[in-house]
Order: sequence, then C-alpha cells, then structure tokens
Amino acid sequence: MDKINRRNFLGAGLILGASTLLGKETSKKIITDATGEFVPPVIAFPEKKPMKTISDRPPLLESSRDIFSQAITPNDQFFVRWHMPDIPTYIDLETFRLEIKGSIEKPLALSVDDLKSKFEPVEITSVLQCGGNSRKFYARSGQATHGVQWGHGAMGCAVWKGARLKDILNMAGVKGSAKFVGLNGLEKPAVDETPHFFREMEIDEALSGDIIVAYSMNGEDIPYLNGFPLKLIIPGHFSDSWVKMLSEITVMDEYRKSFFMDVAYTVPDNDCECVVSGGDFEYKRKPITIMKVKSVIGYPTPNTVIKKGSRINVTGVAFDQGKGIKEVMISLDSGKSWSTTTLQKDNGKYAYRQWNYSWEPKAKGEYVIMVRAINRIGNIQPMPDEIGWNAGGYQYNGVDAVNVKIV
Amino acid sequence: MKIKLLIATLLLGTSAVFAQVSKPIEMPYVDYPIAKGDHDEVAQQYCLICHSFGYILNQGQKSRPYWTGTVSKMVNEFKAPIPKEDQQTIINYLVKHYGYESTSGH
Ligand code: HEC
Repeated sequence: MDKINRRNFLGAGLILGASTLLGKETSKKIITDATGEFVPPVIAFPEKKPMKTISDRPPLLESSRDIFSQAITPNDQFFVRWHMPDIPTYIDLETFRLEIKGSIEKPLALSVDDLKSKFEPVEITSVLQCGGNSRKFYARSGQATHGVQWGHGAMGCAVWKGARLKDILNMAGVKGSAKFVGLNGLEKPAVDETPHFFREMEIDEALSGDIIVAYSMNGEDIPYLNGFPLKLIIPGHFSDSWVKMLSEITVMDEYRKSFFMDVAYTVPDNDCECVVSGGDFEYKRKPITIMKVKSVIGYPTPNTVIKKGSRINVTGVAFDQGKGIKEVMISLDSGKSWSTTTLQKDNGKYAYRQWNYSWEPKAKGEYVIMVRAINRIGNIQPMPDEIGWNAGGYQYNGVDAVNVKIV
Repeated sequence: MKIKLLIATLLLGTSAVFAQVSKPIEMPYVDYPIAKGDHDEVAQQYCLICHSFGYILNQGQKSRPYWTGTVSKMVNEFKAPIPKEDQQTIINYLVKHYGYESTSGH
C-alpha cells in the first residue's frame, strides 16, 4: 500500500467515509434511460453550469446536445475531461512557470505574463473534440467499444488566444539533434506507477504553423477545469494532445514510449483505421491525429414534440480537420431523400460551421431527422451501419439522427 | 507552486464559482449509487482509488470477458494494487451487478 500516494489514498478514503456518512447503507437506484444506459447526474462544477457528470473524480463533464445550436461554445458549458485524479485546484500565477527543457540551447521558465508580453499573440477559432467523442453510438449500431461512453457532448468550439509553440521553441533554440517534443501538464495519478499523462509530437509538427500555447478562451482566462492557466491548442486534431495545465515542454532526441501514446488513442494502421477481421491489437498501431468530417444536430433534441404546421429552425454544427465544410445535407424521412441546408458565417477553417434548415412539418407522426456533412476534399460522413469499428471507439463520425414527434 | 489537492468535499450537488487564482476551487462530491452485496466492499476498496464509480456505471451492462479484461487493464496497465483473489471477487461482483454471463463479446 505504500506505493499509493498517501494524500490521494486519503482522498479515496474520504469518499468511502462520505458515502457511509451520508447514505448509511441505502444503495441509490441507478437511473437508466429507455435504452438501458446510465443517466449521469447533472451537477454544477466550479465555473460551470450544471453538466452531465459522468465522473466527479477525475471530472468528466459532458455538454448537452442543445449546445450545438451555437457556433461558439460558452466556457461555462464546455466539456471537461481529465485522466488523472490529482489535479491542482489552485494555481498561483506568481510562481507558476511553463518549463522548456531538453535538447535546446537555453532552458526557459515562462510565466503566463511572459507568454502574454514576450510573444506575438495569435487568435484562432477551433473545435476541441475528444478522440472518444460520440463513442456510445458505436454501441448503438451493435459494436460496443472500450472507454468512456460519451454522447456527442465531448466537443466544443472556442476562440483561443496564445503564443505560437514554434515561437517559444525558437526562443529556446532547438538543437539539431531534436526529433520529438514531449508535453505534460500538472495532473498526476493516484498511484505512482500509473503511467503519467504524457504526449509527444514530431519536432517538425511542433515547429510548423498553427499550434499555440493558449492563455485565453473566448476572451477570458481558461476555466480551471479546462486547463487553467495554459492549454496546448492543435487545430484540426483530436484533443488527446491538447494538454491541460501545460507545465513542461521537453525537446527530445529519442521517442519515449508511453501508455498514453502507444496504447491509448491508437487505431489500426490501415486505410480505414478500423478492424476488418480479428482483434484490434493484432494490427500495427497509429495514433489518432486529424479529425474526420462530422455534423451534429443541436435543435431539435431527441423526442421533441412539435405542433403540426409550426415552422421550426433545425440547426446544428459541422466541422472537419480544417479543409472546410462544403455542404451539410438534411433528411426528414430517415435518410430516403436529402436536401441542402444553409451554411452560416465562416469563422475560420478549424471552427464550427453552423447550418440551418427551416422546416414546416405537414403531417403528424414520428420523424427521424438526419444530417450529413461533406468537406471540400469530398470526405463524407458514413451512415452509422457503414462506419469502420475500432475497439477503443475513437473517431466516431457516423451520420447523426434525431427522432421527433409531430402532433 | 501552491497546489491544493482535489479532495472531495461534502457539498452534494453544490458548488461556488470563485474568482480565479484568489482561492482554490471547491469540487463537488458526487454520491454515485453502488450496488450492495457480493463483496461490494472489495470493489469499493480498490476501484475508487483512481477514479469515481461513475466510470463503472457509464459502461452499462457488460459481459464477463469485458469485466475480466477491464480489471486486468487496471492492474497491468494502470498498476492498480489488487491481489489476485480480490480481482476475482471484483470481477464476480461486476458481472453480477453491472453485467451478464457470456463467454464472448462485450
Ligand atoms: C491505479 C489506478 C486505477 C485503479 C485502482 C482502477 N482504475 Fe480504472 N482506470 C484507471 C485509468 C488511468 C483509467 C483510464 C483513464 C482515462 O482514460 O481517463 C481507468 C478507466 C476505467 C474505466 C473506463 C473504461 C476504460 O477501459 O478506460 C473503467 C470501466 C474502469 N477504469 C474500471 C475500474 C475498476 C472496475 C476498477 C477496480 C477493479 C478500477 N477501474 C481501478 C485507473 C485505475
């Protein structure tokens, strides 16, 4: 037992104690929905409105579907996902430093003020999506997966402001021998031996283009639970490497093997990035990187009851890896026929593109609304029963569907 | 650097939004329902060290191979310090309350 960090073990003990204190032996009923899925409690965390709380420790908070009727996700409704339970709940900006070390000429220890004053500020509007977002829809189409069973609510879109990673690395002076950049933040495991959350990228990627170390989200400080004070932003990529509470950047000559790089967040290294036959881990692995074209419906939400003859504004968001959305099509008859929606303002190639469709249902009954996005290089969302499966349940982008009732 | 631990407080479902950096944030504590019986105390002893019971509830009903695989993943990959016989007790508990008997699948 001495391998467990005592403070965290105390934390766990406290939770056990608490449940006996509070509930005596009453075992609370598990609330499930019509499909038998667990319904998480809806609770307000610091700086957040009440959100679906899949876990309190580490916090896993999912946004509700109606958030997709906005092109920018408000900070207080933005999803939260940590891996490790030991997360600082207080950061003193006087002493907080981002360290740059390893194969560089000049090690740096930058304060948040340094980042704001010594580097050119860059602003970018970008979608932040967990690699496992929408994972539970694999199970809906008959193929269950491992991992946290998110609905669509492990994504959002925000305006990020910060310093370019390349500018920071250039100030430190990357040595010629450097091949990789390692990134980690302040979250820590409860047991020392648990692999730490550590991410890596190739030096060329780190030195190119759009990656920023953000200190601001939608014009405010980044909320604690979204990674205050600094978060790495990799536009167009799934968020597994968007390290929260970023505290160390290590330039390395060699790749360092780690659970969270080599096992988690990987898919089969083939064209479909999916399992064709046999088991997932019989395939050579590749990490998930760029996002796939996707659209989701924000309004109406499932089981909405609509009066016949009323005109409703069906709306949602679409995005891809940064090629740009060409078209979002909508079907009101379970996918038999498709019409085109109106695309709203373009907030940049990495942002949500909101779409709208004005619909006046003429007959009573049950309807299934579906949407399907295509990007400018012709990538199109697959139907849920056509999507390639992987055991980790990553990169789900099947056509979204919402059932409504016209009365 | 001043770091305060994430310690669950007994504020059921409540929380306060504090001005940033002036005070530690206070995390709400969630009392996830845990089925009693079949040595739930063993599952509680080990399965709450690194995360809440929400992780388990969120999986839905799963097969015996799934729970066996998940418990070994916790032990082998994440280094959960669970003795062999307790692992079996936990698997049986999980299959009984959060799963079903089956030799294949999820
Ligand atoms: C040593 C720490 C540790 C212990 C103890 C532990 N887990 Fe985990 N567990 C983890 C980590 C780390 C993850 C993955 C976290 C992530 O990806 O966010 C995880 C994830 C999970 C998941 C989500 C599904 C998945 O495959 O990722 C389930 C279910 C789970 N654990 C069940 C259990 C059960 C049951 C026990 C008790 C036998 C247990 N855990 C004990 C560390 C632990």
